[in-house]
Amino acid sequence: MIGRGKEIMPEFDSEWMNAWQDVVNGDPTMAHIGRNFTTNFLLGFGDMEYVVSVREGRIERINDHLNPDVTWAFGLRGARESWEKFVQRIPPPFFNDIFAMASPLHGHLHIDGDAKVLWQNVRALTWMLARMREVPVAA
Amino acid sequence: MTARQEPIKGGYVYVPYEGYEYRIFYEEAGEGIPLVCLHTAGTDSREWRHQLCDRDINENFRVIAFDMPWHGKSIPPVGFEKEEYRLTSKFYSEFVVAFCDALGLDRPVIMGSSMGGNICLHLALNFEKKFRALIAVEACDHSPGWHISWLAHPHVHGGEACATSVFGLMAPQSPDEYRWETWWYYSQGGPGIFKGDLYFYSVDHDFRELNEKISGNIPIYFMTGVYDFACTPEMTEKTAEKVKGSETIIMEGIGHFPMCENPETYKEYLMPVLEKITAAEREPVRAGAEASGT
Repeated sequence: MIGRGKEIMPEFDSEWMNAWQDVVNGDPTMAHIGRNFTTNFLLGFGDMEYVVSVREGRIERINDHLNPDVTWAFGLRGARESWEKFVQRIPPPFFNDIFAMASPLHGHLHIDGDAKVLWQNVRALTWMLARMREVPVAA
Repeated sequence: MTARQEPIKGGYVYVPYEGYEYRIFYEEAGEGIPLVCLHTAGTDSREWRHQLCDRDINENFRVIAFDMPWHGKSIPPVGFEKEEYRLTSKFYSEFVVAFCDALGLDRPVIMGSSMGGNICLHLALNFEKKFRALIAVEACDHSPGWHISWLAHPHVHGGEACATSVFGLMAPQSPDEYRWETWWYYSQGGPGIFKGDLYFYSVDHDFRELNEKISGNIPIYFMTGVYDFACTPEMTEKTAEKVKGSETIIMEGIGHFPMCENPETYKEYLMPVLEKITAAEREPVRAGAEASGT
């Protein structure tokens, strides 16, 4: 997260998610590494869950009212505290990457759903998630 | 103006092993105690370029890094297209010995990372007379969970999948430039090779009942970075507790590929180890001089 002094913990609320969407959609690298990244995936920050709809590398929509009509290919769910560490400018060991967090040795992130779709888009997905560290701190 | 050049020289040696001659690419720089560097799974000797070029290392060591068969510029054996590649403890340990013999190296030091670190345990147990010291980087007796089918799947971009799967093993403190260079190396492995190496790393390599059988006659230096989530510092320490003649160094602010993700930080931890190895070589000379009264 961009800020001064002590890092401020994100809220992972709709406002923060929309700010992340803006960072992702303004990122020139996503435009080429994500051009075949079209799917929906679920992000879970503790009790707060969202379905992120991606089309050709751009986040088109973030849905926070989940119901059976809102489908997703794979989910990344972790405790809020895990994501707070992930989004730090310098994350601590085992929280710097989704595979680090999801390692069975540590179990800080649960990955479920269609693993093939995740692996087919793993480069663009991890780049997209790393943009969380660029979400501006609220004034 | 003369363009800048590095001291690395490369060449090919034919390594005989079990009736076949493997054409093996290797690079070297420096003079002195042979220091053979083993690359990690799915990639090649480029990982060691900083250490090969480092004057503080190569002024005392003949630094050598080679590409295992199926990796880098070491082509696979004839008929590879018909078989699934799987690295085993037997092939890996015996091939390292065969390579050293092919170059006529006198009791080299082995410095290996990840799978190259894990194989040091097998070398210590079965081939201790062939080596003078082992530097086992990011190593432990059992590192499960990495034999992942998606790393070699026709519906998945193998290069991007292999490279991205290891990116998080590197510390965020390591320079972006070097982390992405490591990503690049991983993106270039042959189809199925990373997964095949991980067969050794996560399946065939299980040293948990064998640690205590290592004699301790040659020193083993375990070096593990705190960001390594495949072989954590705790996993290394639990292994090292059972290995006689070993010393453990935990490296702060660095991950699973210390030699290429952050060569400066790695050097801070490596130099004291290398100095111990060179000091051990000087001691026999002093003892002989004392006996002759000189």
